Amino acid sequence: MKKGFKLILSVLILVFLIPQFGLAQEKRDFFKVGVVTSLSGELAFGGTVTKRGYDLWADTVNALGGIEIEGKKYKVTLVYADDQSTPATAAVAAERLITQENVDFILGPYASGTTLALAPIAEKYKIPHITGSAESPLIWKRKFKYTFGTIPAVSLIAQASIQTLAKDVTPKPKTVAILGIDDAFSKFAAEAFKMSAEKEGFKVLKYDIVPEGSDYTPQVSAIKALKPDIFAMGSHEKAAIEMIKIAKELKFNPQAFVQHYGMTTPDFRKGLGKDAEFVLGTSVWTPNMKHQATLLFKNPKEYANAFKAKFGDEPEYTNAGSTAAGIAFQEALRMIKAKPPLTQENKDALISALEKLNIMTFYGQVKFAVEGDFYHCNAGLQPVAIQYQGGKLVEVGPGKLQVVAPKFPTPSWDKR
Amino acid sequence: MELFLQTLIDGLLIGGLIIVVGIGFSLCFGVMHIVDFAVGEWVMLGAFTGFLLVSYFGQDPMIYLPVLFIIFFVLGWAIYPLIYRAISGKRHNPVLMGLVFTFGLSILAKGGALSIWGYHIQSITTWLSGKSLALGPITIPALRFSGFLFGILITLLLMFFLYKTKLGITIRATAQDREMASLLGTDVRKVGALVYSLYAGVTGMSGILIGALFSIHAAMGVKYCTLAFFVVVLAGMGYIPGVIIAGLILGLLQSFVGVYVGGRYNLVALFMVMYGVLLITPKGILRRGI
Amino acid sequence: MKSLKNAQTPAHSSPSFLRWGLLGLVLLISLLLPWTLSPLWIRIATEVLMWAGLAQSWNIIGGYTGYLSFGHGAFFGVGAYITGITMLHLGLPFGLGLLISGMAAALMAVIIGYPTLRLRGAYFAIATWAFGEMIRQIATILEITGGAFGMQLPAYLNLPFFYYLFLLMTGLIYLTIYLLLERSPFGYKLLAIREHEEAAEMVGVDTVMIKIKAFGLSAFFPGVLGGIYAYWVTYIHPDSVLGAVITDFMVVMAFLGGIGSLWGPFLGAGVVQLVNRYLWLVWGEGTFYLIVIGAAICAVVLFIPSGIIGLLESQIFQPRTAWKEIRKKVKW
Repeated sequence: MKKGFKLILSVLILVFLIPQFGLAQEKRDFFKVGVVTSLSGELAFGGTVTKRGYDLWADTVNALGGIEIEGKKYKVTLVYADDQSTPATAAVAAERLITQENVDFILGPYASGTTLALAPIAEKYKIPHITGSAESPLIWKRKFKYTFGTIPAVSLIAQASIQTLAKDVTPKPKTVAILGIDDAFSKFAAEAFKMSAEKEGFKVLKYDIVPEGSDYTPQVSAIKALKPDIFAMGSHEKAAIEMIKIAKELKFNPQAFVQHYGMTTPDFRKGLGKDAEFVLGTSVWTPNMKHQATLLFKNPKEYANAFKAKFGDEPEYTNAGSTAAGIAFQEALRMIKAKPPLTQENKDALISALEKLNIMTFYGQVKFAVEGDFYHCNAGLQPVAIQYQGGKLVEVGPGKLQVVAPKFPTPSWDKR
Repeated sequence: MELFLQTLIDGLLIGGLIIVVGIGFSLCFGVMHIVDFAVGEWVMLGAFTGFLLVSYFGQDPMIYLPVLFIIFFVLGWAIYPLIYRAISGKRHNPVLMGLVFTFGLSILAKGGALSIWGYHIQSITTWLSGKSLALGPITIPALRFSGFLFGILITLLLMFFLYKTKLGITIRATAQDREMASLLGTDVRKVGALVYSLYAGVTGMSGILIGALFSIHAAMGVKYCTLAFFVVVLAGMGYIPGVIIAGLILGLLQSFVGVYVGGRYNLVALFMVMYGVLLITPKGILRRGI
Repeated sequence: MKSLKNAQTPAHSSPSFLRWGLLGLVLLISLLLPWTLSPLWIRIATEVLMWAGLAQSWNIIGGYTGYLSFGHGAFFGVGAYITGITMLHLGLPFGLGLLISGMAAALMAVIIGYPTLRLRGAYFAIATWAFGEMIRQIATILEITGGAFGMQLPAYLNLPFFYYLFLLMTGLIYLTIYLLLERSPFGYKLLAIREHEEAAEMVGVDTVMIKIKAFGLSAFFPGVLGGIYAYWVTYIHPDSVLGAVITDFMVVMAFLGGIGSLWGPFLGAGVVQLVNRYLWLVWGEGTFYLIVIGAAICAVVLFIPSGIIGLLESQIFQPRTAWKEIRKKVKW
């Protein structure tokens, strides 16, 4: 026991003597950007999606010499901190980036849970924070002053595909069955499907939530027996892939499969091959969109090409949203003409600049709401319905946003 | 009525998959008293190995089943000395040692898989994928059905081996009384190695089946760990024939709760049943466990 | 052997003033830490304290009594949720919420302990594990817990406050263990149950009551710690406070430090959490640290099964006997 004490003592003294670096305000001529996202753990897949978006922003900015402020260019450096997919680690990660690394601002995590743990820390240290991915409406209800988001809340996004099915296809389907996976994001998506289905006059035959990791066959069988016209599902990529496999096995043939999110990821397309065809989803951005931007990437096509050159994959909207988060900071910095390292006045000015921001990027309009239930969430985008046609995602609605007519109804599995 | 029959079939087929994962685990627990936390990781590694074999050599994934069995049998044989060391000798609490050691192994395997193969979700397809048999209004997915048959077949083979061959009888004797068996000249350590390798081989082999049905990623193992625990508890720990009945019951439970009660109560029901069974009859529903 | 050594005063015990002096120094430094550390390190130190408390709580039932609870995270999570519910829905003050959390966790342990503690070995481990998972699923289904959306508590971001709160609570846990398990008949009875339950029963120990008391005690503390955690991190979710990983780390920490000893869990928690965070700081962008942690756990089981404390109690740190000791410990 004596030895135990001695060891504890020496560990404590060691901790005591750990050099306390990074507290002084240093001089530097580049912007230090903290990134907190999930690089390991359950959400590592999504974390990598955001990381790619942030990386592409930083690399492109640096290739052009940096962010131009009053004629001088300042490069950006990203400092990553893994949140291990848990809220507690997200808080430690933020604390580390802010107090040890002295970052100027923060690009936020993939998931909503980790974002909700990070936001109060950003609030405490008064550090601007934009998440390029989190879609949970809960974040915006809390009205965090220092937290912004480039992707509209999932409750808005999910409506687009239901609206398309209500207005742009004939014969108009009548019934819908909805399944959600029991995590915060997927459940919101499922609820949004349900709300907009009721609004559009569909009859909701079944609304069910299943825990992540269970076998979805019984649910598909139960829904199949009800013969719904539309099957809508809120989930992440893994469940989305498994669901289509099960639907095919069980010969479940609704007139339309609607999924959010997951169907936009490359793994969905690669894993399912031809079976991905006809699946409908929603997105706020696709590489085919016609936005004309003044900043960084001129249009979605240029972004998609840069993305493919760097990562060898097609980009999807979460990648784009993450890159746009960087662009929002870039533009706001230019507006307030702040030089690195940012002082506290600079950071507060940055917040006001972000609130006033209204720019057109390759990702579309970025304009943060300054009141209401979606406080500080991007209000400039219109969600579109998308569908796999010939192995590619195309916009099929709603209304004027349609580029190609939706293929409807989905042929049964044996006639494909 | 149609839905009822379909639910029944779904349940039986889910049960078949649970049998595949639970059978090796039950053997491993029954003979060596090891609760292997890494059971799900064997499934995951099997799925990834199958995926690699398919992407290098092509062909249908199902023909690699025997190859996978051999690979994982050898792997199990190689790892066993470590496990034997962890649970034997002057250890305070062999159960805890085994649990913690295999817990370490599972973190190691998960971390390794993440570092090597990354986060992507892989899929493999066989010629059975997406096909199904129609039986009137009932649909029987072909791949799941073959998984079911596979599970039953493996169980029967193992039972034949354990009850009809000399080696098998030695293994059962060891399971019943380790000291006595060792006095009668059985090399307990070798028997253990054989059992562990069999377990690793069977479980790794099932990975490719599960990978084809669902999807392959580094964290896929956890849920099979849960299922393996369930089935072994319900069957009575170490009682091999019970695994079939327990697997089917669990499959039916999931299926019927999912359809008639609500999907969200799916897992709660499973855990409640498992907890309840342990309290009421720790030796399993057939009261035949050790 | 080990139990006997624990039950008696160790033969090589140093003069008591030295030990108290060392303890005082440890306490003094702990009290002063927040003044010298940066916020990041205060946070990490706070985590170490929390885990030291959790590992020690598990140690009461897992180490001293020999019943391996694999569902102990449930008590932590229930504590976190009850504190959240009392603060958000009932508007009670934080301190009262903590007390209710601890009581509720202990009550739950007593209720499930009665039937569950009849099981032994792996059966008890799996039953408690099933129970823990069941609680997690229930928290996901219920409305009052916020279900899958999780629960957000008011943000009170005062790092030293939480550091001292955890220090106080963990200190209390260690004091309780010292007085109740190391220095009282209650502790000897637990050891007797661990070593030979039937024999203990035969000499007149009311094993059922003793076990339930120990289980309740070992659930009370995680309940309180869970409550503090909830207020500290501000956002709780079934996966973050009820996930199997909480239990897993309690067990691994207690085990690495040395189960059934007073300071083992503390050492285990310190080493695991500091190594975990250190690897995270160094290899923050990869998953390599998982491999290191996994391999380290395996290595400890294989080579030093009595934990760090066992290693320290041996003669391994004396130059003359070190080699012999290493050979003894690390033999194939």
